[in-house]
Amino acid sequence: MNLKPMVLVVEDDETIANFISAILIANHYSICRTRQGKTVAELIASHSPDVILLDLGLPDMDGMDVLKSIRTWCKTPVIVVTARNQEREKVDAFELEADDYIVKPFGTSELLARIKTAIRHNMRLVQPDAMRAGKMAIGELEIDESRRVVTLSGEKVHLTPIEYRIIVLLAQNIGKVLTHDYIVKEVWGPYANEKQTLRVNMANIRRKIEQNPGEPKYIVTEMGVGYRMVEDAERQ
Amino acid sequence: MDDLEKRADPDALLREINELKSGGIGKLKIYLGYAAGVGKTYAMLDDAQQQSRSGVDVLVGYIEPHTRPETMELLKGLPLLAPKTLVYKNIELKEFDLDEALRRKPALILVDELAHSNAPGVRNQKRYQDIEELLHAGIDVYTTVNVQHMESLNDMVADITKVQVKETVPDDIFEHAEQIKLIDIEPDELLRRLEQGKIYQPERARTAMQNFFTKENLRLLREIALRKAADRISHANQSERRLSDKMANVKLLVCIGPSPSSARCIRWTARASESFRAPWTAIYVEGTDSDSMTPDQQNTVRANMDLAARLGAEIVTLLGDDIPAVVAEYAKLSGITNIVIGKSRNRKSLHNWLKPNLEDALIERLPNIEIHIVSGGEPLPHHNAMSKRLSLAFRLTWRDSLITFGMLLVSTLVSFWLQKLNVGDQNIIMVYILSVSIVSRLTTGYIYGVFASILSVLTFNFFFTEPYFTFNAIQPSYPITFAIMLLVALMMSALTVRIKAQARLAVAREHRTNTLYEINKKLLATRGLPNIIKLTNEYIVNLFNRSVTFYASDPEQGESGFFLQNPSEPDSSYLIQPNEQAVAHWVFVNGKRAGAGTDTLMGAGGFYMPVLSQQRVLAVIGISCLTSKLDHNARLFLRMIASLVAMSLERQRLSDEQRNILIDTEKEKMRSNLLRAISHDLRTPLSGIWGASSAILENESQLDTATRKQLLENVRDDSQWLIRMVENLLSVTRIQEGTMRVIKSPETAEEVVADAVSRIRKRFGSSKITVQVPDEILIVPMDSTLIAQVMINLLENALKHSPESEPVEIRLFKKDAWAVFEVIDHGPGIAKKDLPHIFEGFFAVDRTDGDSSRGMGIGLSICLSIVKAHGGKMEAENQPAGGAVFRFFLPLEGDENT
Repeated sequence: MNLKPMVLVVEDDETIANFISAILIANHYSICRTRQGKTVAELIASHSPDVILLDLGLPDMDGMDVLKSIRTWCKTPVIVVTARNQEREKVDAFELEADDYIVKPFGTSELLARIKTAIRHNMRLVQPDAMRAGKMAIGELEIDESRRVVTLSGEKVHLTPIEYRIIVLLAQNIGKVLTHDYIVKEVWGPYANEKQTLRVNMANIRRKIEQNPGEPKYIVTEMGVGYRMVEDAERQ
Repeated sequence: MDDLEKRADPDALLREINELKSGGIGKLKIYLGYAAGVGKTYAMLDDAQQQSRSGVDVLVGYIEPHTRPETMELLKGLPLLAPKTLVYKNIELKEFDLDEALRRKPALILVDELAHSNAPGVRNQKRYQDIEELLHAGIDVYTTVNVQHMESLNDMVADITKVQVKETVPDDIFEHAEQIKLIDIEPDELLRRLEQGKIYQPERARTAMQNFFTKENLRLLREIALRKAADRISHANQSERRLSDKMANVKLLVCIGPSPSSARCIRWTARASESFRAPWTAIYVEGTDSDSMTPDQQNTVRANMDLAARLGAEIVTLLGDDIPAVVAEYAKLSGITNIVIGKSRNRKSLHNWLKPNLEDALIERLPNIEIHIVSGGEPLPHHNAMSKRLSLAFRLTWRDSLITFGMLLVSTLVSFWLQKLNVGDQNIIMVYILSVSIVSRLTTGYIYGVFASILSVLTFNFFFTEPYFTFNAIQPSYPITFAIMLLVALMMSALTVRIKAQARLAVAREHRTNTLYEINKKLLATRGLPNIIKLTNEYIVNLFNRSVTFYASDPEQGESGFFLQNPSEPDSSYLIQPNEQAVAHWVFVNGKRAGAGTDTLMGAGGFYMPVLSQQRVLAVIGISCLTSKLDHNARLFLRMIASLVAMSLERQRLSDEQRNILIDTEKEKMRSNLLRAISHDLRTPLSGIWGASSAILENESQLDTATRKQLLENVRDDSQWLIRMVENLLSVTRIQEGTMRVIKSPETAEEVVADAVSRIRKRFGSSKITVQVPDEILIVPMDSTLIAQVMINLLENALKHSPESEPVEIRLFKKDAWAVFEVIDHGPGIAKKDLPHIFEGFFAVDRTDGDSSRGMGIGLSICLSIVKAHGGKMEAENQPAGGAVFRFFLPLEGDENT
């Protein structure tokens, strides 16, 4: 068994691919590289990576198409690499069941953090754990699902039913970005169109659980995409 | 090379050249004959068949139903346009469907009978106007016409055939026709055809032969037609040079009057001017007693003026009572060489005995000018004019009666006094004569003067002759005295009447001139299209007392016109109804007047005239005519105003164009400045990266770890700086070029702030930043990427200028209708000299700071652009306690585009 987690790097620009490889290898990952979208499928089949790093701007195929075709048969976490101003692209990627995204240009720490999160989630899905037990602890925040109670540093937090559901959803997907649409669908139902209400709810939640709503430590906004509950390791 | 294949099609080129030459106007070919039945329609259809066979898109617009089967044969195979059916007085009439023809837009259309008058209900009164529209739309036309329909030949033909042809066609249609094809046959042949029933039905044929189709008539008509055709050929062959040396100094003048003989004169002069190849003027002298003309006479004068204008004369209207003097004066000033006047057989009357002959007067005054006399038709019925004059003369008013009796009283009293002084009889008479003159001078009309003279004589007789206080003692000299007094009275009255009328006219004229001057002055000072339109509308409403609509562009393109209601008129908003707008649209397309009182679309409620400049229609003015139509003077005045407006509009257009050019030039300059600044700012970090990396590579062994680390850190920092620069520049592309606006969607302001802060923290890890957000949730319409960019730029700026120990504060709050974002630092603050220019950007900031200041300016100027594009504002100031604060406001209401 291979102890080092394997990352499949799909990137056409050599410089970027080089430095990604350098970082990953230095951090005890093993890598597999390709520059083309059409070889991705066979590489996944032959090497079974733990995480796929997919650049959307590939020369031979549209990254989205690669993602779509992978997702028909493979559940490996995919992190898409996008350019900064392309919010639409990020949201579309999530529609196609990407797990996370990273924006060019990115730094070493960001890359490693994302990869770690992706692998951890994957393992959680594969091995169910404490989440199912009904209790979650994130920093000073504790969520007791069986009793539907949320406490912050021991003190009970008064949440509306909607707010509670949002927090639980984010906690269950901790570290992962959830799009606005996804949250709305999960909380209000598939036919709802409540983006504005979501924003207002989020702001209220922030005021209840964050010390400074202007500097949120638990729930972070991914501009133009959605929200993410921050994992312990990332918190300052 | 495959250039050969790409060579332009020579036929297409030729077509293009022809189009350019003719200005996109269609070409007219006229088939001219001298009588019905010579074969014009046949020839036209024959040609059309030929055209159709060679591939031209031919459409038969309208052909008169013929009895000649050979003609109708030729219609086979050509597409036919269905005629429009109209019901007029319970009769079904079929007319040429102009609109359908314009819609179909064939290359060539055939329309029979150029001189035909359209039935009421059709847009144009005459078919030749329809054909003009077709030509204007670029369609070629074939048409047929007989020579007797030509306007200038109308009376000549009437003389010959004794048949008055009422449907005439203006000469300039012929002038501008591309081709005139003369269809000629021997009169004998024509008569034979008539007998055979090939032209008319047999009964009609017989009548025709007796009246119109006599051999003599036909021969004469044929000669006229042939001559006309020959004239045209010789014109075409003549070069311009001949125009100058042959009779160049001939200039004709014709006098227009209310008599029907004027029309004959005008036509004769038109023909004469054509053969002399000389210009001609038509003059109308408006007398001060023009009020005494009956409406019929006024109409005749107007019709004559229109006729002269149509035939190509320059129209001049002058004011004056002494017609010979006025005409002579004008002729001398304008270098007239020939004058044409009409003479009808006037019944000898006292009136004419007193007035000298016009021609004698002219000859006397202008010995060097040739006078042509054209004999006129029926004499003028005088009594109508006479009665009107009489009615004017006999107006009674209280004021005038008072004056008369008052004067008489005064003069009687004075005479008594004179008698006391033993002044002789003759002086008393003088006093009465004086009083009669004064009465005539002060009263209106003749009656009071006459009355005064009678009363004076009687009074004199009564009071001052022996025996006193009786009406007896009529001395033989009294009739003479009486006669003299009466004469004095009449003359003074006449003089007074004339002077008053003249004064009135002069005032009216002066008023008009003053108004034009005033309008011109105001228009010169007016800027902006809406202002020009408003001013014009106000003037027109005031001057003509009617409501007005001004169209600055074709109503078909959505413009609804600027309407001004005349307060003293009933509601005239019908002027902006769609069917009225259709008339305005027609005027736009055709550049001619239309509406009430014209030949086109006369059923409309308003009168529409184009404002023309260099053949282009700049605007259309519509005036409400529902209560009454505009008279000739008003139209003339309106035309003068229109030309002033045209100049003003043209000037406005040019100034707009100039401004746009200036703006474009500015934009270009800004763009090139930006590029220059950017390339300068890019070069520095790039040289840093290149230098550092090559230093490491080339001196690998010589460098120690610390130095290598330093160099690599420099490379990283410089590249990060470049990334931020590029991000900034890319943000600008999100601002839409044309409108300088952004696409907004509602965002939670605090989230944007948090996002910016977290991104800054990634680069400036150790810095202290405090964030303060309000309790209430602020949802602000914005482009989140751009506002985040603004926050990042401001934070970067603040962090660069703050010492490590001091925190940078961010404050977000609501103030009235704005969301306020503040970035406060505790550094040294902004230099006084930079403060006013701080947002102006790269070219304003003092570059003596050298390369290290590194494009701070660009970041701030981009912030300003972004905030402005959101409809917000931005400011910077120094805090009293030290440090600077940058603040920007975003509107809470706004365009929401989600």
